[in-house]
Amino acid sequence: MEAADRAEQFIPVGLASLRIEADEVDLAVMNAAHQMFWPAIRALLSLDLGDLEPERDPDLSRAPQ
Amino acid sequence: MSALDLSLRGQAAAIAAGEADAAELLDAALARIEERNPAINAVVATFPERSRAMLAEAPDGPLRGVPVVIKDEWPLPWRAQRFGAAELLAKTAPGESGPYRALRDAGAVIVGVGNMHELGSGSTGNVSVYGAARNPWDTERCPGGSSSGPAAATAAGLVAGAVGADGLGSVRFPAAYCGLTGLKPTFGRSAMAGHHMEAVTTLIVSGPLCADAADCRLLGSTLIGEELAAGDASGLRIGVVRDTVSEDVTPEVGEACGAAIEALRAETGGEIREIELADLDAATLAAILIINGESLGGVSPERLNDLDPDISPINRGFLKYRMLLPAAAIAQAARVRTLMRRRLAALFEEVDVIAWPTIPAVAPPLEAPLVELPSGTQTADQANVRGAALANLTGIPAISVPVGLGSESLPIALQLQGAWGADALLLDAAEALERANGRRWVDARSPLAQTEPAGA
Repeated sequence: MEAADRAEQFIPVGLASLRIEADEVDLAVMNAAHQMFWPAIRALLSLDLGDLEPERDPDLSRAPQ
Repeated sequence: MSALDLSLRGQAAAIAAGEADAAELLDAALARIEERNPAINAVVATFPERSRAMLAEAPDGPLRGVPVVIKDEWPLPWRAQRFGAAELLAKTAPGESGPYRALRDAGAVIVGVGNMHELGSGSTGNVSVYGAARNPWDTERCPGGSSSGPAAATAAGLVAGAVGADGLGSVRFPAAYCGLTGLKPTFGRSAMAGHHMEAVTTLIVSGPLCADAADCRLLGSTLIGEELAAGDASGLRIGVVRDTVSEDVTPEVGEACGAAIEALRAETGGEIREIELADLDAATLAAILIINGESLGGVSPERLNDLDPDISPINRGFLKYRMLLPAAAIAQAARVRTLMRRRLAALFEEVDVIAWPTIPAVAPPLEAPLVELPSGTQTADQANVRGAALANLTGIPAISVPVGLGSESLPIALQLQGAWGADALLLDAAEALERANGRRWVDARSPLAQTEPAGA
């Protein structure tokens, strides 16, 4: 899991699996984005929301039922 | 004074009363664009014959003959949107978009298309295929984004009102940076047809950018298709959150917004209540993940391998990075949305509005859009989005109101957020704040708007 956190592995592996090409500039931007978002994504995933009842067919123009 | 310098409602009233000639007003707007736009790059397309045709066919609506600018985010019958980019990842074509129809049916005249941050992906307006838009208060500063052109055009006096779009604060940021009032309506209320993400977006709305709340009421009612009737904000219960969004701001922003909240309380005879709103950071990320997930539909790896070379390097890289966002995170983001919607529903039983600064610092330099906050140096995008994303994530309306000028004579703004459908209440509250401030900040004009016409 620790290895997957590292941008230098996550990004090339992800790009290769989707066959997305990237030059050095693309990779620099992606690494910066990864450093910014990944810790927050891990924190988000660690929120325990398992007991939260889903909002079925949410109507975002109104308060939840 | 030129009729073009009247408020949006003033222009409409003058035309209706026969005190101003709509054809002359249109010519004045086109001349003003020619004169002032080179300094700010706010308007990226004009089409005088199309505008004159709109005027010739304008019905006797509430905006008959009034020139407006519309963001480069919707098609017009004679022009496809470009979304501020060399290319879009969605198919576009000229057509009658919802905002176009709303404006046309109200009698308004679209005089130009407003610049925008490339692909709607930034809060500064310094990246666009058309070149950066500039802030009329200081042309070396960011005008805000992504509705950069509509805001700069209005703040420079090219028009008295413009239509923007708000997916993660894109009406409120440029309104704040340019000293305007900007309304992000409740999700689903305002015209969106023809937007290339119309069928999938659960965050983006169209919204007005104008000098004050009364003009936003008029243009917002046009976009919504029903009157946002003026009411009474007496006894307003104002919720304040002691969290990063209100505390990690520059001292001048904190002071101006604190004073504005107290002035609003005094003007309405209301009260200020400290409230708890946990997990705001998670809400911000959830909104970012959802909007990026929604915009992925139909985007293939092959498509990303063949991007137009004129897409900016930052968006080229980010368009590819977002393909790697984990589905589990996007699913978790949907749960956070549910959580925050329920929390807000409970909070709006206790308060009428939630107030915090729209932006944590005044408009940063175009060349380096960074802000110095108590927590350290951050990109403006990082700092700005945390105050705006909650409204887009949950669907609630929000408004940005100018409440001061900072030490560099750049605007400061307060954001008010209300319950679903409380758009009119937000306008009432904004008007109460204007009264409390003696209209000082909504009547302030940018240096460019005070420019004497050539030959005057």
